[in-house]
Amino acid sequence: MSFTLDEVSQRYITDSGEVVHALADTSLHVPAGQFVCVVGPSGCGKTTLLKILAGFLRPTGGQARVNDSLITGPSWERGVVFQQANLYPWLTVRKNVELGLKFRGVGAAERRETGQRCLDLVGLAGFEDQKTYELSGGMQQRAQIARVLANDPEIILMDEPFGALDALTRERLQMDLLQISRERRKTIFFITHSVEEAVFLGDRVLVMSPRPGRVVLDEPVTISQQYGRVLPGKELRSTPEFVALRDRIADTIYTGQAPA
Amino acid sequence: MTGPNQDEASVVPETDPLGQSLRVAADHRRSRRAQRVRKFGLSFAVLLIALGIWWLVTRFALVPALYLPSPAAVWDAFIQANTCRELDSGRSVCGEQNYYMWEHLIASMQRIAVGVGVAIALGPLVGFLMGSIEWLNTALEPYLNFLRSLPPLGYIGLLIVWFGIGNTSKYWLLFLAAFPPIVIATINGVRGVREDSIHAARSMGASRWQVGRYIVLPATLPEVIGGIRIAVGFAWTTVVAAELNAGIPGIGGLAYVSGQQLQTALTIACIIVIGLAAVALDALLKHLGTLLVPWYGRA
Repeated sequence: MSFTLDEVSQRYITDSGEVVHALADTSLHVPAGQFVCVVGPSGCGKTTLLKILAGFLRPTGGQARVNDSLITGPSWERGVVFQQANLYPWLTVRKNVELGLKFRGVGAAERRETGQRCLDLVGLAGFEDQKTYELSGGMQQRAQIARVLANDPEIILMDEPFGALDALTRERLQMDLLQISRERRKTIFFITHSVEEAVFLGDRVLVMSPRPGRVVLDEPVTISQQYGRVLPGKELRSTPEFVALRDRIADTIYTGQAPA
Repeated sequence: MTGPNQDEASVVPETDPLGQSLRVAADHRRSRRAQRVRKFGLSFAVLLIALGIWWLVTRFALVPALYLPSPAAVWDAFIQANTCRELDSGRSVCGEQNYYMWEHLIASMQRIAVGVGVAIALGPLVGFLMGSIEWLNTALEPYLNFLRSLPPLGYIGLLIVWFGIGNTSKYWLLFLAAFPPIVIATINGVRGVREDSIHAARSMGASRWQVGRYIVLPATLPEVIGGIRIAVGFAWTTVVAAELNAGIPGIGGLAYVSGQQLQTALTIACIIVIGLAAVALDALLKHLGTLLVPWYGRA
């Protein structure tokens, strides 16, 4: 599934009556199977963009579409991984992961099987019957990812999903996510604060700038194509192309303008 | 405290991780127990001091016994209210006002059970609807606040005119006292459900109905239980008002009647029993709450 933004903008009025231009007219097309990373300082409208795509927020201007149909609300086809795990503490880890399938009327046996597969995938085998609040932050986040994957959405929207994790867990989940996106050809919209993470994960990196939020840089990441193969993480990170792109993006974030 | 600890350490080698974690767990339990004992000791000391002052005041007759009977007199009144005694005329009398005190207490608890029970059945439902449907809340909230601020003594007379002097008017009074706190707590619970919790469910394919049933309902449970605890507390404070008229048997009625008849010791005994029963019931509800909502404060 692809998605398209057509002159989408978002304004809102604060409690003190001020009009905030959260997102300036933004047009964007993300083809099916693309992994897009979005970076930018706080308040640049990345989360607003994600909420519009998720269907949590109606844009005040323009149109957001998935394939050719207008986004009018949330749908299971657009899974969302939040910054916070948002697990439901009254359900076990397993029940949390199976919840989306339950909502959609999938039978118990199939729910169990799919749920288990996703739990295994994120490395939570053996924790199925734990209480969610007994898991560490990293495990909660993995459970959330398993919950979204179990639903098998075509588009996965992720809002700084690895922000609160330790370096080791983050790296592991990054590898898992890359593998999933390559194998299942998911379209992924991934917000992060880490430039390095964006260049490492994305097929394409968008840099956004605040007041009003807008896309100031739209760069494809073609390092793997240039080398003719998928480079392992460490090797990739040390290539001159990676370093150059990372610096270019970091500069753009810093200045808020596309480099000349 | 260190004795058994050292024994365990000598039995279990330091390098054994299971033994170590067992020891940590045992230490943890011990320190928790010690903490509980300290807390209980503090509360108990306050009780002893209060009793001591009370005893001294009555011992030296600083206040006439009619106004403040001694602790011993209150104890005697309590025993008398729970036993049978021979009168001078040779007739045997049991309890007070023809009922043992525990029968009075049970009668009151039954009234509370009916009044609060109906409130527990209806309150969460009404609160859930008011919390989820904006116009319903706008329409009903002022009347709920109006009802909440009415003193039960103010309208018990009206309820007796409407429903008679028997139990029905008492049920109504207790229901009306217990209903608003449960509804208000439920509304607050529904409003307090985190937006992301609902968004997450919606983007997993939940219909509005499913969001209500599987997300909002369980998420609201802690507040509903809190509301029920407050409602039961209200019911106890209202039970005397409910039993002012034809309240025998009833612990509130007995407290009122004995006060009218200048049996001050019995009145004080009734008050203490009401207080203890209320505290015990609340502790039970609190325990039930932690069983039903083990995640409260942890997630």
